[in-house]
Amino acid sequence: MTAKRFLFALACAIVMATPLSACTAEPAAEPGLPGVGKTLNVLVSANSIYPTQQKQWFDDVSAKFKTQTGASVTFETFASPNDELTKIQTSVLSSQGPDVYSLGTTFTPTAYATGAFVELTADDWAKVGGRDRFLPATLGISGPDKQHEVGIPFTSRPFVMAYNTEMLKAAGIAKPADTWDGLLAQAKTLTTGGNFGLAVAYGDSFDPWKFIWAMSVQAGNPLVNGGKAQLDQESTLKAYQTYLGWLATDKVVDPAAAGWKNAQAIAAFGAGKAAFLPMVSATSKVTLDKSSVAGKYSYAIMPTIPPGATSLPAGGVAATSILSGDNLVVAKYSKNKDLALSLVKMLTSAEAQETYYKTFGELPTNAEYAKTLQSDPALAAIVDSSGKASGTPFSGAWSQIQLALVNVVVQSVPNLAAGKVDQAQLKSLVAQAQTAAQSALDKAK
Amino acid sequence: MLAPGGVLMFVVIVVPLAVALYVSLLDLDQYTFRQWVHAPFIRLGNYSEAIQRSNLLHSIRISVGYATIVTLATLPIGLAAALATQNRFRGRGLVRSIFLIPYVLPAFVVGTVWRIILQPDGIAEHTLSRFGVSEDLWLNGPRSFWALVIVQIWASWPLVYLLALAGLQSIDHTMHEAAALDGTGWWSKLRYVIFPFLRGPVTLAMLIAFLHNVNNFTLPFVLFGVPSPRDVEVLPVLTYVEGFQNFRFGVSAAMAVFSVVLIAIPLAAYLRAVRLDVGQA
Repeated sequence: MTAKRFLFALACAIVMATPLSACTAEPAAEPGLPGVGKTLNVLVSANSIYPTQQKQWFDDVSAKFKTQTGASVTFETFASPNDELTKIQTSVLSSQGPDVYSLGTTFTPTAYATGAFVELTADDWAKVGGRDRFLPATLGISGPDKQHEVGIPFTSRPFVMAYNTEMLKAAGIAKPADTWDGLLAQAKTLTTGGNFGLAVAYGDSFDPWKFIWAMSVQAGNPLVNGGKAQLDQESTLKAYQTYLGWLATDKVVDPAAAGWKNAQAIAAFGAGKAAFLPMVSATSKVTLDKSSVAGKYSYAIMPTIPPGATSLPAGGVAATSILSGDNLVVAKYSKNKDLALSLVKMLTSAEAQETYYKTFGELPTNAEYAKTLQSDPALAAIVDSSGKASGTPFSGAWSQIQLALVNVVVQSVPNLAAGKVDQAQLKSLVAQAQTAAQSALDKAK
Repeated sequence: MLAPGGVLMFVVIVVPLAVALYVSLLDLDQYTFRQWVHAPFIRLGNYSEAIQRSNLLHSIRISVGYATIVTLATLPIGLAAALATQNRFRGRGLVRSIFLIPYVLPAFVVGTVWRIILQPDGIAEHTLSRFGVSEDLWLNGPRSFWALVIVQIWASWPLVYLLALAGLQSIDHTMHEAAALDGTGWWSKLRYVIFPFLRGPVTLAMLIAFLHNVNNFTLPFVLFGVPSPRDVEVLPVLTYVEGFQNFRFGVSAAMAVFSVVLIAIPLAAYLRAVRLDVGQA
């Protein structure tokens, strides 16, 4: 009986608590506004660094939107890219779900391929405040061309490299090198006394392809060219040899990095065990400012001159980073398209972008506000990288190509521990990746 | 009186299975899935692609190999634990509860904890190095297969233990008395009195364990991530990657159908053995 009573009480409590939690204190909407009585659903990535602030931001956005339009905003979060994908798949398939999605830039091509999101007309762009309110570089991955854009830039998260200023000073290195070969030479000098030159996450599911892409594109190979995969070109092989060689043969990376995720690489750098931490965004600042290297590190752009070269080769792009950040897309099935565009307009205004930057440390895509940040010396490298970032190929097959690129690294790891980069094995893995990438591209529509 | 059960079976089993079968015949991917009923019908194209151009056969070998080893290894551990806790002793309840911990922990937690233990420069490496073993790579390469086997044994032996314990409880105490009166030794008692009673529940435990191991997605996914190292590219993970990372839903459904066939074989053998399939006469 006690258990039954307890369950009954619990059920009552839940029933009573539900409506209470559902109606948080929001201002009453003024009658006559277009969105009165309507609710917009928005799916965004859960912010694990600032969870409390994110909840507050949700409430603030909803309240502000209500005063502007009469409609409230309900936020849903996803914890991982896989979560996000599942949500998108089920929503697209059932034609119901969030009205607005915040998508990672590299996922935008895949989202575009589904045909489930609104392609923005000139009129739509006007409704979000005009295409020219955004930094031109951030529009690079909104669609395959200007006429077919789905993604509205929301935040910019360019990749940079953190370096330990004390270690570099002690070794007499004035500044990080601008060539990958130069960085390796510096890393060798700095690998001493139990510390390593570089902290690199070889076990991460995403980091490795970003290195391979950057080194390839700098050497003039964008990996995809007119529907043809080019993963098996010499420049990409060289990129893999360089990247894997740091751990296997150059020994400038902690051998344990063979299994590291990105967060572990940040932790190793934060513990003062590595001099350089390439491929991190400004969000690493939160962790590093609480670590033992607080005040002893700085950010710089990653090298833009490919391995084996001393200057940018012909056709090479001096990309400092992939075009990284979040785009907002509006679902075609949404019955509140105009309201959704109003919300996007609100979120990408200079004022909202300032709040967002100050709360979460993510760079704005709003050109007007971005200008005011350029003068901040602490942000110089990150803003610089944002302007010099380059978009990954806009193809619905890109997610598959990414996976194929990372797979080469995953399958190479056992050999790294043996202190070598097995050329024959690498060639065969890269050939497999090329086949997978090409077959994905062949199916692209 | 069969109607409710029949409807339930239709909705819960037949409909999803039929949809999966249908999807496995479609060229369903990120370009077509918005209007999936209109996706091109390609007959058995996905099946031939899965066999010829994916790692399916390799994955089936890995899955069956690992599931068999784990199932066989958990048998003696589970049996021994059940026998050890059968007789009353002080603290038996506590021991029995502790034995169940690995089984009640969510696979996600088990995977995360073991991932930390087994990572390079982790606890496993440091402990083993004291015994002169200098292996550091457990989450990739050939040893990853054994990492998966060990962790899964750790997580799944209590199932055999539970069912063996249930079997032991069902043995009437007069059997024990009779054996004692006859002056039977412990091995003979075990072999001729106890084991015959355990055959049913333990076989069932092994079957469930095998099916669970073949179908296990969470543990390998959390332990090794994706893309999966080749030595632990089990069938459920391959199916997941094909569907949710490569967006080849048709091929993924074909792989899922293969896995249904794979688990149906031992299941059919078991049902035949216990004659559950003849129904009530």
